[in-house]
Amino acid sequence: MTAAAPEVTNALREILARVTGREELAGLGDQVPLFGPGVGLDSLTGTLLLREVHRRFGVDVAAEDLNLDALATLGTLAGFVAQRVHSEHERRIRG
Amino acid sequence: MMVKCVIWDLDNTLLSGVYLESPQEPPEADPVMLAAAALLRDRGIVHAVATRNPPEAAQYAARATGLEFAAAECGWGRKSDAVRQIAEDLGLGADAIAFVDDDLYERAEVSYAVPEALVLSPEDMADAVGWPEFSPAVVTAEARRRGEMYAERRRRQEEARAFGGSRDEFLRYSETRVTIAPATADDVPRLHELSVRTHQFNTTGHAMSQPDLHALIGAAQYQVTTVRLADRFGDDGLVGGCAAARGTDGAWTVTLLMMSCRAMGRGVIETLLAWLARSAAQEGAATLAVPCLISPRNVPLRLALAASGFRAAEGGGPGEPVAVFFRTLSGPLPGLPPWLTVAVAERAGPG
Repeated sequence: MTAAAPEVTNALREILARVTGREELAGLGDQVPLFGPGVGLDSLTGTLLLREVHRRFGVDVAAEDLNLDALATLGTLAGFVAQRVHSEHERRIRG
Repeated sequence: MMVKCVIWDLDNTLLSGVYLESPQEPPEADPVMLAAAALLRDRGIVHAVATRNPPEAAQYAARATGLEFAAAECGWGRKSDAVRQIAEDLGLGADAIAFVDDDLYERAEVSYAVPEALVLSPEDMADAVGWPEFSPAVVTAEARRRGEMYAERRRRQEEARAFGGSRDEFLRYSETRVTIAPATADDVPRLHELSVRTHQFNTTGHAMSQPDLHALIGAAQYQVTTVRLADRFGDDGLVGGCAAARGTDGAWTVTLLMMSCRAMGRGVIETLLAWLARSAAQEGAATLAVPCLISPRNVPLRLALAASGFRAAEGGGPGEPVAVFFRTLSGPLPGLPPWLTVAVAERAGPG
């Protein structure tokens, strides 16, 4: 897994705080589980998060990740997004 | 595809003139369009407005027509953006939207940018009330209240935005009540309607006929369950259901799981999945399986399954149309959410 640039993690943290309407999540650690108590990502906030990730980074997580394992933590999501963005960049350079 | 929401232009469409030409004495409702809209409302189809007018125009149109608008986009942006915004606000796919406008250019723009939507002129609309897209086979109590439910939903969302705490705290504040009960013959029309209308939370992706539902409820090896939802903002009635087959090998399989998108973000599907796991474990099952169509439309369902500890079986992949999501029932089971009132009615009679 490609190490995610901090910009990606920070952007995802902002998106998460916005789609959940909870400003305190703007300080969330990148190892904290998104599902379950605490963050409590659910079908509504999860859908909004995936849609915004698709819009911002052009990465369709649900189409590539059947079990949505990328949504385990902010860190795993940032790694998943960064890797896809990186591969797309390489593909374009090589033509 | 059934139309769930009609988005109306106002000037020379739902109104019999141009609003801003005489704001002191605005035009009356167009009688032909109003008759069509009232008919569709009684069939459970909701109405919304997309107009190049100030917001007062939508308020005026609501008074002039007596219709309750589930959403209104008033402004000078593109109509296709208004259509997409309304679909998003109401949690509907664009293919459940009809758009009515007298202006040929606006219709072309929406047709091009939102190809899934049904785009109609007012003349088309007068005729379209007889089309299958506007003619649900059954009209349930839930369907007739749909316009009001969207208004309740708007009030709920406004309060949720102003509310400081977490989702769970808001659900508790809202006095959210989820009632889980065995399905009866009386529930069949609404369960059929849910099987036709639900896409974001539907494991099979196809409709189930009323005779098939009756047979399923009567079959001893199946447990068919209904879910009702209410809170201080209103009563959404029967919002979901599922059918679970009791396997002889200790494995339960959920052959149908469906939930109205109105229940989204209100802890209902998670409650149903937790209750199913507990219910299967209580009857001695070792695993619970949920075969699920994989489509871009039901990603919310996959999110709920992931959040509830289900994982797809080995070998399935995004390229496969159906994946089987599993969870074992040994070890700790998911708790029923403490912020919800879950009333589980006893199954009447033997079995």
